[in-house]
Amino acid sequence: MKELTPLQWLKHTVTHPFEGFGDMRWKKAGSLKIAFAIVFLLFLALIADGRLYGFQFRSVQEETFSIVPYIMKSFVLFGAWTVGNWAVCTILSGEGTMRNICIFSAYALVPYIGQLFVNTALSHVLIRDEAVFMSIIEIIGTLWTVLLIFTAVRDAHGYSAARTLSAVLLTLGAVLIMLILLILLMSLVQQIYIFISTIITEITYRIRS
Amino acid sequence: MKNRITILVIAAASLPASPVTIAHAAAPYETYSYDSMGNAIPSQAGYAPERAVSGYDLGVGAMDAPEDIFMADDGLFYIVDSGNNRIIAAGSELTSAVRTYSEFRYEDGTVTTLNQPKGIYVCAEKDRMYVADTENSRVLVTTLGGEIVSELSYPDSPIYNSPTFRPQKVIADKAGNVYTIVNNTTGAAMFSPDGEFTGFYGANRVQPTAEVIGNYFRSFFMSDEKKLSRIRSIPTAITGFDISGDFVYTCTASNTQQTDTVKKLNAAGKNIFSKLDVIFGDRKPMYDTSHNQLLASAMTDIEISSDGCINCLDLTMGRIFRYDEDGELMFIIGGKAEQLGGFDTVSAIESYGERLYASDSVKDTITVFRETSFGRAVNKAVSLYGQGYYEEALEPWYEVLSRDGNYRRANTGVAMALLRKGDYEGAMEYAKKADSSEIYNKAFEGYRREFLGRNLGKIVLSAGAAAAGIFAAVKLKKRRSGGEPQ
Repeated sequence: MKELTPLQWLKHTVTHPFEGFGDMRWKKAGSLKIAFAIVFLLFLALIADGRLYGFQFRSVQEETFSIVPYIMKSFVLFGAWTVGNWAVCTILSGEGTMRNICIFSAYALVPYIGQLFVNTALSHVLIRDEAVFMSIIEIIGTLWTVLLIFTAVRDAHGYSAARTLSAVLLTLGAVLIMLILLILLMSLVQQIYIFISTIITEITYRIRS
Repeated sequence: MKNRITILVIAAASLPASPVTIAHAAAPYETYSYDSMGNAIPSQAGYAPERAVSGYDLGVGAMDAPEDIFMADDGLFYIVDSGNNRIIAAGSELTSAVRTYSEFRYEDGTVTTLNQPKGIYVCAEKDRMYVADTENSRVLVTTLGGEIVSELSYPDSPIYNSPTFRPQKVIADKAGNVYTIVNNTTGAAMFSPDGEFTGFYGANRVQPTAEVIGNYFRSFFMSDEKKLSRIRSIPTAITGFDISGDFVYTCTASNTQQTDTVKKLNAAGKNIFSKLDVIFGDRKPMYDTSHNQLLASAMTDIEISSDGCINCLDLTMGRIFRYDEDGELMFIIGGKAEQLGGFDTVSAIESYGERLYASDSVKDTITVFRETSFGRAVNKAVSLYGQGYYEEALEPWYEVLSRDGNYRRANTGVAMALLRKGDYEGAMEYAKKADSSEIYNKAFEGYRREFLGRNLGKIVLSAGAAAAGIFAAVKLKKRRSGGEPQ
């Protein structure tokens, strides 16, 4: 096999779902920079999907735009997945490093991101009667990404298929736990903030009077 | 805009021969409308209060609790003066009474009087008057001369399950069937032309609240005895109705029920509005802090204008909601106030020509609203639009938009008209303003078709050129890399 540039490796892994990640691991290729760029692209794609659809496909118009849900759906979720997978597979004697998991999972997201962009573009060209094409593209992109994530986890850790399945399910559980903890933490911080701000208000009233 | 109004007002005031005096004082309420997000936004007045008619104005002495008002096809108003137990017939200008009915004669010459009647329906063509004589528990069918033709009383039928028979409102269809609201939850009582009780019509559905659904699942585990002693979930009774063509419109004054408050029923009793995404009344009920209650709209009466518009009367806030025949909001008129144009306890609504009439059973007056020039433009546009003359409606819609750019209905109208005309780009622009992705979809389909028709040659050519270019580039690259040693 000839030497590939990082971008060629990306193309190789995405277009060879079954052995691409194995090759990449063997060659110790894969770029963290590209991985982060992909996650950023995911963030942009989600925003495009939520805001830039053609008017004929827009059903509910939101009055306000909040960027927080998009950050949650892209960066936070991806981070939780990476950390969760690393934590779970360290216990399940996986061979993957944090760096590898991050790169492999990010590369696996490419079809999904592509689907989001393609559909956003198509929504400006198609009419409602032809929405079935968009759903076909969406289904293909999503299934492709699911397959890629599966092989990414398998090849990052050198697992068997059954082991990979259990690892993926456990990782999803770990992600859930992390998110719950995150929400708990946030509400706790909020409570503390309210507590402190109340005390400060109280003190300022005392000082003034 | 303000200047124009002043000029109009001055012009109107300076006309000495003007038969009607237009009220110049500002209405004691704010006019508003709803945007596509359901937010209340200020809007221009479509109707302005013109005058209040009391019994003295009609020359028949004070009215006491007018409960119903009906404009018959003979051009006369029939007013139910409930507290005085009489029916007042007045000319269409509401300047003087033509006749008062306080007693009705049977065929054998005996005379009967009314006892707090609440509803009336007149079919002058057939010389028939239907009076809901509430406290006498009967519906009188009489001629316009006051002779009783028949009397509908407590139905002797096993289907009729209510202990009382208190007719509140009454209507009759073309065939002579009589419908009367008797304040029970199974719908309006229906009588055949020969006075036979034939069943109920137009009952509301139970609103599926969490409690109702929970009770349904709980009932699986209950014995029959327990089910019998349980609180029943029953819908609220309809409170007002009107007939227009082959359709019966009903309304329900309930501050707990949100479904089925306004219905359009076909002959089979099916609600045509249930499939449409329409909301009647105020979107967000106001919370009254001083009385600790939600001021949700309660539609107490409904009336269909001759042009098909639906006028609903909200008892809670004393407002008239005017909708077009598809249930799209046109105007909100009135409010609770002592001044002219305000109401205390509204009881009935009627429309005739360019005016709306609403009776108030506490103020004992009938308030006359007259359409403003803005209202005239909207009414004209809606009526043309409703009849399918989309393009003819374009002119009045533009006039409406030039006066109130927020008027959503106008944007929809212009979009549809432009779509019909084939101006797809314009239709797309207005569909966006109206926030109607459905119309936009249709307009875009046409726009795309035209665009492709114009540019198909160019597109095919450029696509072919691009494909050829890519093909050549790939070939070239292959040859180059093929030339190099592996």
